[in-house]
Amino acid sequence: MAMGSSRALLILSNFKFKPTLPFASSSLKPFPPFIRNNFRTRNFSAKTSSSLPPPDLPRLAETARISLAPNEVEEFAPKIRRVVGWFGQLQAVDLDNVEPAIRADTEGDNLREDVPETFENKEALMASVPSYKEPYIKVPKVLNKE
Amino acid sequence: MASTLFRTIQIHPFLLYPTALFSRRNGVLYCTMKSSQSQTATQEKQQPPKVKVPQHALKKTVDKITRDYEAIIGIETHVQLSTLTKAFCSCPYNYGSQPNTSICPICMGLPGALPVLNSKVIEFAVKLGLALNCKLSLNSKFDRKQYFYPDLPKGYQISQFDIPIATGGYVDLDLPLEFGGGHRKFGITRVHMEEDAGKLLHSGNGAQVDLNRAGVPLLEIVSEPDMRTGIEAAEYAAELQRVVRYLGISNGNMQEGSLRCDVNVSIRPIGQSEFGTKVEIKNLNSFSSINRAIDFEISRQALLLSEGQGDQIVQETRLWEEGAQKTITMRKKEGLSDYRYFPEPDLPEVILTQEYVDSILKSLPELPEMKRRRYENMGLSMQDVLFLANDMNVAEYFDATLSSGADLKLAANWIMGDIAAYMKNEKLSINEIKLTPKELAELIASIKGGTISGKIGKEILFELLAKGGTVKGLIEEKDLVQIVDPVEIGKIIDKVISENPKQLEQYRGGKTKLQGFFAGQVMKLSKGKANPGLLNKILLEKLNAKS
Repeated sequence: MAMGSSRALLILSNFKFKPTLPFASSSLKPFPPFIRNNFRTRNFSAKTSSSLPPPDLPRLAETARISLAPNEVEEFAPKIRRVVGWFGQLQAVDLDNVEPAIRADTEGDNLREDVPETFENKEALMASVPSYKEPYIKVPKVLNKE
Repeated sequence: MASTLFRTIQIHPFLLYPTALFSRRNGVLYCTMKSSQSQTATQEKQQPPKVKVPQHALKKTVDKITRDYEAIIGIETHVQLSTLTKAFCSCPYNYGSQPNTSICPICMGLPGALPVLNSKVIEFAVKLGLALNCKLSLNSKFDRKQYFYPDLPKGYQISQFDIPIATGGYVDLDLPLEFGGGHRKFGITRVHMEEDAGKLLHSGNGAQVDLNRAGVPLLEIVSEPDMRTGIEAAEYAAELQRVVRYLGISNGNMQEGSLRCDVNVSIRPIGQSEFGTKVEIKNLNSFSSINRAIDFEISRQALLLSEGQGDQIVQETRLWEEGAQKTITMRKKEGLSDYRYFPEPDLPEVILTQEYVDSILKSLPELPEMKRRRYENMGLSMQDVLFLANDMNVAEYFDATLSSGADLKLAANWIMGDIAAYMKNEKLSINEIKLTPKELAELIASIKGGTISGKIGKEILFELLAKGGTVKGLIEEKDLVQIVDPVEIGKIIDKVISENPKQLEQYRGGKTKLQGFFAGQVMKLSKGKANPGLLNKILLEKLNAKS
């Protein structure tokens, strides 16, 4: 499933370095954090050697809504740094004569006609909902949008 | 936009636009004013005194203060597209359906489900980009905007971050005459595609989610911060509504949520180049709310700045309270959001060919701005232009009436006057009235040519509107042809005069007002068919004839 590869990307995206990865280059930006609609220019790859600051793991876990015990933070930080290092090896590739791509793959559109289709098995859908009080999905009160 | 004076909006009862409601209630404005003297600790604990000031006096004070500042206003608009299915799945969308009846694994974000883009979304996006005079990105992509909220099933919204489908456009519009008129041009920074979230309803100590709306396609339009007053902002929003309706890509209905506007307002002393602190305002449900909320916020900020309390203006999101007619703080956000954007791996690049774009450009209807300029060039007054071009259906009706040969000004007057009044009374749209443009042209010609009198014309108009039929048919059926033969009119007048000797004597004795009485009687006898002009001319002759 596509979720696996994207989780790695998720972790990657929070690090303060200018990636030269073709598929991730344009949308990543080091701190300050992204402010909606303020991003105008694309960051092209800069051949800097990766002297990466250590990841702010507690913050990372908070944004991903994953709870980590202090000993887990200590345990995971070096492991994550190593994963980043593996990807960092790609920095060695010379991209001076390569046009930055918008996305990784090159296949074209996969479009669908605007024709309605009702999904029949609604019972199965609602059976997977932890707390369903017809006709609504019940959720706890959430104060802040993230 | 060199002129930076903030002008208070005058309260005006007459409104041209059916869709833009610009009424403001007359009344007393409450304001809280902090005393300019330094406050002791105990004083600070108390509520600042609430001063009850008559509205006109307060306006003058506010006017004076805000005159020193320039407001910078930008608007983010979300347009809900009227496609048959959602953006990334084939679920239909119908406003007002029973909750959670139009859902599937894709829009519910269930594991394993993959999005597939609806081709109509691209078509609508290109249409809007072209209509807003934007540069289209022939290659663009989708990105994930990640945050957690109960109405966002996937935990991210599929949007477009750094490469939107359209950038760098503008809208031309004309401000309504009752607000001073004038032409404006406002820049559009970008237009991009994204999906809507579900609906979250608070209830008791929890909340409820309806995912019918999750995945519905949206186009987000970000304006340049070019607006300077509430009315400019409201008119910008109204023009966007006009454009999306003309294009047929959305209902553009603020009350239903198919057009949503968030406004950003900051002010700075005139002459200063740095921008002030930006405040976002949400919960605007009508054009008049946009207008009033901005005016209020400008006043609020200006008052604070003028009292040296500029630090009280913080970057935050405020809600417009329609009842209280003021903005209030929403919960203050801690820090800025980190949405961790990255390209959506499950969707391919969006590729447009120049041929595709050109074919859509060719298919665009005449847009509001073009229509306004065309009507203006035909010789219509600005008032007529703004009314007729506001609703695409009205403009079409007007154009059809003209192409049936009707006189320009008369056609405009009939549509803007009696026909508009009828539509308002019966709550009908112009597509629902029974009078066809061809028959309206016929009616105008009949009156102009003298076949029937203007008064009779107005009478049969009502029947034509309600029941249809042809003008010629009605004239024949009801024997409405105007009497223009002076001899015949003379005969009727003679009869009336002979039947009313007393009034005749009174008239000749000096009561010249009785001419009206005679005229009325002649009209009655002729069943309204006598030509009024001739009637009065001959009547006067006869009344004054004998000594």
